[in-house]
Amino acid sequence: MESKSSDENCNNPNSELHPSKLIMASHFLRALFRIQHTTTDSSFAGRSRKIRRAAYASMAYSVGTKRAWSSALLRKLRSRSRLRFPNPRRAKYAALPGRPRVARPQQREMDQAEALRELVPGGTSMDDCRLLEETADYIRCLSTQVRLMQAIMESVSF
Amino acid sequence: MDPPSLMPRLPEMCRFPMLGMPPPELVPRVGRIGGDASVEESTVTEQCGGSKGRRRRRDPPSSGGATEDESSKFVSTSSGNELAEAEAKRLKAIKSTDGNDNIKSEAEASSGICNKLAAQNPQTTEPPKQDYIHVRARRGQATDSHSLSERARREKISERMKILQDLVPGCNKVIGKASVLDEIINYIQALQHQVEFLSMKLEAVNSPMNTTIEVFPSKDFSSQRYDTTSSLAYSSQTREYEQGSGTEWLHMQVGGAFERVT
Repeated sequence: MESKSSDENCNNPNSELHPSKLIMASHFLRALFRIQHTTTDSSFAGRSRKIRRAAYASMAYSVGTKRAWSSALLRKLRSRSRLRFPNPRRAKYAALPGRPRVARPQQREMDQAEALRELVPGGTSMDDCRLLEETADYIRCLSTQVRLMQAIMESVSF
Repeated sequence: MDPPSLMPRLPEMCRFPMLGMPPPELVPRVGRIGGDASVEESTVTEQCGGSKGRRRRRDPPSSGGATEDESSKFVSTSSGNELAEAEAKRLKAIKSTDGNDNIKSEAEASSGICNKLAAQNPQTTEPPKQDYIHVRARRGQATDSHSLSERARREKISERMKILQDLVPGCNKVIGKASVLDEIINYIQALQHQVEFLSMKLEAVNSPMNTTIEVFPSKDFSSQRYDTTSSLAYSSQTREYEQGSGTEWLHMQVGGAFERVT
């Protein structure tokens, strides 16, 4: 895996191990062009959904199958493109109904671990140790993707 | 002096599960001084595991007295729990604090203590055999690997938590696993929201590229974008505000070219 480009602030040697911004940029831009040329007459929300899905897809595609979260994300995206489900992600963020929030530290930690599992793709089938590792990689890639999209915005609009 | 400094260490040691050991197996091991280090270390951790729930009771009596007195007192009261904690505390007292994870030195210290105890109170080991077996029990290899692996697992988890703390901005100030996890969860949610928001922005900006109206929206977007980047990465209120105003601006400009489907 290539390290981050030098213009990024690398404050941690551990954060070097993820796909470079250029690889993610190439995938994402290619997907953006594809969206722009093929779906010219769809609605605003539909196109933004497509772009968002393209962002996650390019992110996962750049990482490949080296990580559990990227494989799970790719699987989910491919199955979703076939089934055409609306995104149920927002519902997951809410607390589970019918489960009283106990203030005990163990219960709180378990709640947090479950919340983390729902956030990170593929996290439901991981133990805590692996979950933390995948979370770290996912955060790295997500932040890289966000920075990439901001850079695209910057370059497109001026 | 010892108890307050040792108390925070006890939970770390006393999380090992307690496994029952057959009585006759253990008594001969007590006398061994430099014997199995691995066997001896299991003693301490096993008794610690047994005494996990009863740690609090131990505090008042342990405040005074020499360790030997404590041990003899607890031995006479025939409660393996307290002796376990006494032994654990003595272990901590003997060992230096930095090498706490070194099980070998713990084992040696515990072996020394156990032998001292055995010499002093040989008769008391017999009657409360069930409890004291846990106290002085030499853990078998099974418990050994169990607690060892659990300790290794916990170290791995804490190491990964440190990596995560470095990744998430503002996580260094928080102390405590739960708060760090909270921050991580918030950060991931914020990043995902930002991806959504940026995708909407990108879509809104890319489409009028085909038309000639690109200067005005871009100016507005650039000011909003700086707001996004300058504020905390996960302040969702400002983002939603910008999101709404940006798209409405475009509605005004392009005049219905974008149909916002809600």
